[in-house]
Amino acid sequence: MNALSPSTHLLLVIAAPLIGAIVAWLFRSWGLAAVRQSAANTAIVTLVLAGWLVVRFLSDPAAMAGEPYGLVEFPWLVGGIFDVKLSLGLDGLSIWMFALSALLSITAVFVSWDAIRDRPAGFYVLLLVLEAAMLGVFAARDVILFYVFFEFTLVPLFFLIGIWGHDERRKAAVKFFIYTLAGSVLTFLGLLAIILWNASHTGTVTFDIAALTAAMKAHPMPMDAGGGWLQLIVFLALLAGFAVKVPIVPLHTWLPLAHVEAPTGGSVDLAGVLLKIGIYGFLRFSLPMLPEASALAAPWLFGLGVVGIIYGALVALVQTDLKRLIAYSSVSHMGYIVMGLFALTPVATEGANLQLINHGLSSAGLFALVGMIYERFHTRNIASLGGIASRAPWLTVFFMLFTFSSIGLPGLNGFVGEFMILAGSFQRAWSGVAPSFSFAYLLMAVTAVVGVVLGAWYMLWAVERAFFGPSREPPRSGHDGHDGHGHADRCDLKWHELVALAPLAVFVLWIGLTPATFLRPAAPAIRAATQASADAFAARMRDATPTAQPIARTAQLP
Amino acid sequence: MIPLAALTTLPTSLESFSLVAPEIALVVAALVAFLGGAFLGLRSGWVIALLGIAAAWALAGGQPADAATITSGGVRVDGFSTFIRWLVLGLGALLALVQSGDLFATAVSRGPGIRRGGTCEEAGTFLLLLAGLSLVGVAGDLVLLFVGLELVSIPTYILLALKRIDAHGQEASLKYFFLSLVSSSLFLYAAVCLYGIGGSTDLQSIAARLQSTDAKIAGMATVLLPAALGMAMVGAAFRLAAVPMHFYAPDVYEGTSPGNAALLSTLPKVAGVVVLARLLGLAIAPDTTAAAQVGPAAQASLDLLWKLAVVIAAVTMTVGNVMALWQRNLRRLLGCSSIAHAGYLLVGVAVAAAAGATQAGQPLGDTTALDTGWTMVLGGMTSSLFYLATYALATIGIFGAVAYLGHRWPEWTAGSGPRPPREEIATVDDLDGLASTNPVAAFAIAAFLLSLAGIPPLPGFWGKLSLAASALQVDWNAAISLDSRRGWFVGLAVVLVLNAAIAAAYYLRIISAMYFKTTKRGVQADGGIAAGLAMLACLVLVAAVTVQPRRLFMAASRAGDAVSGTLPVAVADARPTIPGR
Repeated sequence: MNALSPSTHLLLVIAAPLIGAIVAWLFRSWGLAAVRQSAANTAIVTLVLAGWLVVRFLSDPAAMAGEPYGLVEFPWLVGGIFDVKLSLGLDGLSIWMFALSALLSITAVFVSWDAIRDRPAGFYVLLLVLEAAMLGVFAARDVILFYVFFEFTLVPLFFLIGIWGHDERRKAAVKFFIYTLAGSVLTFLGLLAIILWNASHTGTVTFDIAALTAAMKAHPMPMDAGGGWLQLIVFLALLAGFAVKVPIVPLHTWLPLAHVEAPTGGSVDLAGVLLKIGIYGFLRFSLPMLPEASALAAPWLFGLGVVGIIYGALVALVQTDLKRLIAYSSVSHMGYIVMGLFALTPVATEGANLQLINHGLSSAGLFALVGMIYERFHTRNIASLGGIASRAPWLTVFFMLFTFSSIGLPGLNGFVGEFMILAGSFQRAWSGVAPSFSFAYLLMAVTAVVGVVLGAWYMLWAVERAFFGPSREPPRSGHDGHDGHGHADRCDLKWHELVALAPLAVFVLWIGLTPATFLRPAAPAIRAATQASADAFAARMRDATPTAQPIARTAQLP
Repeated sequence: MIPLAALTTLPTSLESFSLVAPEIALVVAALVAFLGGAFLGLRSGWVIALLGIAAAWALAGGQPADAATITSGGVRVDGFSTFIRWLVLGLGALLALVQSGDLFATAVSRGPGIRRGGTCEEAGTFLLLLAGLSLVGVAGDLVLLFVGLELVSIPTYILLALKRIDAHGQEASLKYFFLSLVSSSLFLYAAVCLYGIGGSTDLQSIAARLQSTDAKIAGMATVLLPAALGMAMVGAAFRLAAVPMHFYAPDVYEGTSPGNAALLSTLPKVAGVVVLARLLGLAIAPDTTAAAQVGPAAQASLDLLWKLAVVIAAVTMTVGNVMALWQRNLRRLLGCSSIAHAGYLLVGVAVAAAAGATQAGQPLGDTTALDTGWTMVLGGMTSSLFYLATYALATIGIFGAVAYLGHRWPEWTAGSGPRPPREEIATVDDLDGLASTNPVAAFAIAAFLLSLAGIPPLPGFWGKLSLAASALQVDWNAAISLDSRRGWFVGLAVVLVLNAAIAAAYYLRIISAMYFKTTKRGVQADGGIAAGLAMLACLVLVAAVTVQPRRLFMAASRAGDAVSGTLPVAVADARPTIPGR
């Protein structure tokens, strides 16, 4: 059992999709069936390996206490000023996102089973390369390696959207790429600045994230006019890339277009994992390395999170396209996560981290289901759909499940995360801020609760219109050139669609019922990552609190 | 101080000739190629060229290791010249393949347009160009430097005029000719000014003079040195295709063959970087020794020079990228992109100039806040040379692919009249649907474009990483403010990375045409197997640098370090040692 060292095991998990991609490419002349079968095998093998690694991680006391697990290190560009290493490892911060990446690849492969018939080899190769990059970004322990994976995820998704997307695919692919790149190049400069700062203060060049975190604690960047507000500048540089990735309103405009145009498999990975890299970046870099700047920015980002919640919900409410509606619901839900993260209380940040997984599961499931609906009815227009429930009961069951998860029905995973975020935010608003901030924080927290109601409204309303009521046919005209094939017949889930959805549903229930299982491994790492920022925030609030006024003598009666 | 008289009368000995044996081999091969046309047949030209490059390669391998610095009779062989020589020979071999198209084809003139195949004259001229460029690298004397530069320029005019016989071709070669003359004369003026200061054409003697504290010399240098460096900068700007001498690039590239465009977008840039590096080397004192004082005049003019370089770099990359956004013609687009890359290259030059302007005895960046005594040094020249190599590989690869693809058929359905003639691949639209008609070429072009865009982990990313890192480390511990040197370089780094995002827009347009569009037009792929080989070789090299950037980076690092060692002061060992080097 333990013949496989954790390091080799981790390396194997990341290499498996790459090897599978090569195999799928070699099978390309064998036709669709061979290619997709080999891709599916790869995704399953990767998931089994990753699942096994997670189990080993969970049974390792040191890893559970916050130690990194499965360290791998090879030199890459070492020499001169550079010390770039191929350095991998998992810790509590990354373990669940790592597992989620492997899980969602199953969904991505199996929802594409029938949908992708054009050049399947290219599609599955890119999907598997994307999986490897997603696994890599969470396992990277070297700054440049993180950035390499962070950027490289754009390339396969660019091709996935551009080749296999819908009508506006070329515009969507380019916009997605440029928008994200423009943000992340600034992140790149910010990361370089952190490396140089460390080098000039400790005398050694290192690109190791853990070492840099420790060094930034020992030698914080200046956060005053004398030091040129360096910490704030670097924070803003990092923010540029992470905020686009999340996306934080108002930098979200690439997202609905990319989602609507992307093939279902691409949407699943984009919503499920890629958006989370932004939040992960905050947790990995901004909060632990730049605490004072994070504390200064926290109220603003908290507020932007709330704006995102309400804005995303209101825009989702008026959508006519089901996929676009879910895309905007992502904007809204990512708003919760941003809000929870920058509430900077333990409950809220742990909730935000859990909500990353929750949203990954529910939005990936919903996007997968919308893809299935599109395959059946060739439309995503809510007004053209109706009565799906009578024709595809199991599809409806899954859609309801993920909808309830998304709107936070107690007993399902979404409730736990949302509740923790809101509870933590109220805790912050009541007892954790200076009196002058108190009202604003309370207002924002209450507004976020209103967002929960809006979320239930737009999701349930859409479900009601599309799934219930009289069975409706999409109009024949404008129905991409196929003659009537009996939409009214039963058209329930096929086996591969069940395989795509069932694992997600299992985790939706599992996290909902025993959240502690998932919270516990991450808690020490989250605590460690946010502690410095939380302390800095508390210090700011203390400074903003007026000291108790001595009772004025003149007010006393003579 | 070394007596000046001793330096000015360096004997030209047999040793000097042995040091330039590779260049001599190239010239001999050129002569063989010129004559070979008469005896061996026209087909032999490019084969002779490749053999000549191989011979030069073998001779270069027998040269002293790059740590040593040997000067003899105007020739200076050091880590820098060795790097340049390997670069020139390597790029030369790739370019010869692209230029020949099909190695064994004879020249076929099909009326107006690009002539296919090659002649012995073309191959010989090309070899002379390589010899000239390699000589520029080893020149330790202004006269040799100038001769080398002319040996680059004159064959370029001939190649431009030979390859395309139509109005566009004539326009291109004339435009290049006149601007090149302006650039050469600017360099000559700069050389005259330097001679005026140094009383010698030998670079070492001039450098020694610049450190002099003699009031008369310093006074003269104060007037002449800024003029010399400024004119050299503008002259180099032409070769780099940088603002303000950039506007010829799109026109000339459009009016010539893909092979010539590949040549123009790489080899003159090498020459430009070498000239700037050698002239900067005059004034750059090695950092940490009190013995090596930057003369006050050199100090002032370097201050001027880094500001100039920062401004030119920022403007050049922005102008090039923004111009490229609107181009439809493929070669024009890549011409604009090569302007942008000239801007990136100048970032390193600016950093090197700023480093030179730092007071002697004080390492790059204010070290007062350091409690460890560790000095950060990523030489600007190192990043520029590293970037140059990564850029050249990708660019030659793209033009090699375009040359290899050659022509494509217009849309035509059987029975609708006679089949129209083939069309040369000229616009981005001509690459529509290439992923389905020629997947290997499409993949290669996409990889080269993503590398140029700086997408990790491709070579262009490593290049931009070192450029950005070297710009950020200038005056590292000073506060960022608009009027400080640090502020300038942080601003430059921001402009650099934002330009990378702008550039991605037009690179992606090409990829989008190849992969996201469909076409009914077939690709001929008639440009010749040798061009295809060049494309594949570039692809392999790009993959190699992606996986193992270290070798190339360390070679560039040694070359960059050698630049600041131009001074005849034995301080090479006193440079700060960096852990891990």
